[in-house]
Amino acid sequence: MVAQGIPEIGAYIGFLFVSTVALVIVLRLFITPKDPRPTPEKKKPFESGQIAVGPGRTRFIIQYYPYLLMFVVYDVIAMFLFAWGLNLRALGAPGSVPVLVFIVVLLIPLGYALHLANHRENW
Amino acid sequence: MASVLGPLQPIVDMVTSPLFLQIVLFPGLTSIAIIGALLGWLERKLTARVQLRVGPLYASPAGGILQMFADLIKLAFKELFVPENSDAFFFIMAPTTGLVLGAALVGLIPFAPGLQIANIEVGLPAFLAIITLSPTLILLAGWSANSKFPFIGGLRALFQQTAYEIPLWLSALGVIMMAGTLNLAQIVAAQSTGWFIIPQALGAFIFLVTSVAEMERLPFDLPEAESEIMMGWQAEYTGVLFLAAQGPGFVKLYAFSALFSVMYLGGFLGPGFLPPLFWMLLKTLIIIVLIMLLRSTFPRVRLDQLLRAGWTTLLTLAILNIGITYLLVVGLPTL
Repeated sequence: MVAQGIPEIGAYIGFLFVSTVALVIVLRLFITPKDPRPTPEKKKPFESGQIAVGPGRTRFIIQYYPYLLMFVVYDVIAMFLFAWGLNLRALGAPGSVPVLVFIVVLLIPLGYALHLANHRENW
Repeated sequence: MASVLGPLQPIVDMVTSPLFLQIVLFPGLTSIAIIGALLGWLERKLTARVQLRVGPLYASPAGGILQMFADLIKLAFKELFVPENSDAFFFIMAPTTGLVLGAALVGLIPFAPGLQIANIEVGLPAFLAIITLSPTLILLAGWSANSKFPFIGGLRALFQQTAYEIPLWLSALGVIMMAGTLNLAQIVAAQSTGWFIIPQALGAFIFLVTSVAEMERLPFDLPEAESEIMMGWQAEYTGVLFLAAQGPGFVKLYAFSALFSVMYLGGFLGPGFLPPLFWMLLKTLIIIVLIMLLRSTFPRVRLDQLLRAGWTTLLTLAILNIGITYLLVVGLPTL
């Protein structure tokens, strides 16, 4: 292992590069020089040059909330299909019938939920 | 083994081991940092060419190729401060963790036979599961800044995720049905008879669109839309933290393009007169240039357009793709 000259040097250069970048980032995070003339405006949140008004954490956008609810349900359901897709060649057509019924049964409430969600957008 | 270095021998052995070299050099951290910076240059230069500008020019003898390294040094020495009333811990940790997540993605990609940091059995779901965390980090970064533009950007990342996530997973399911494995190296091996881009053309299209949305690049860069919400969740970041917030974008571009070529373009497979690594990097570069040209061609979509298109058009096409793949693998039902 020691005889391989070039990979060793390459590894050292790579290691030095990575650790230098990491060191610079860590040093810059913790050894930041004090601002000689701090102004109160400097640490204010950015609002296009205006004076910041009110709390920064504003309200959620409620009109897309139905999509979040659908996502919580259907993202998990999409995972179930991976077990089927992985073993599709072994299962063949007979083993796939329950999964195909499962997909069709899930698509009907999805269509209705989308119908409702698209109407809620008109709030 | 006779040691000539004495107590330093275990350290030297570790440093010269192939896995350590892969982690540190290629495809690991050093190459990720250099490729990320070069991709930043390529994107600026290519966008400039499309828009009949010149782009970066001065920072090197050849076409400003060192521009991003100069920017990197400049950003590393800017003053760093945390805005008042913000949650400093999450404000600093969110972009830093995002950097780690981006590097973790590259570690799962097989660049050549054996040239893969983590050859795990569930490579494809692991990749998609790691990438799922990034909108959460963006929301955390936006929330912790206690400022309005970052918070709006974080919320947009949250809602955008609901639009693309399910079509992304379902389009990847088509490849899994064809290959019968979740291991990325075995997915490449399964394409030795033919690339999956031909039977999976629809799935590849959906995967490309949803991965551009996942990377938050134009036309889907709603969380950082600089012309409407002033860089969105990155608005309050300065110096090194801005670098840490910007960097994962290019690393994710690299990782997703590599994943696309692994899943659909046969990965490192290619004519034998050049090494497998060359074909892998060539295919990755082609996908990267394609995604960059998308950026300079299309206008930004609206959030409600994206949500509606993701939940209706993309989801319908993804389910159609699963049906087509089922017929390709199992065959027509015999009645």
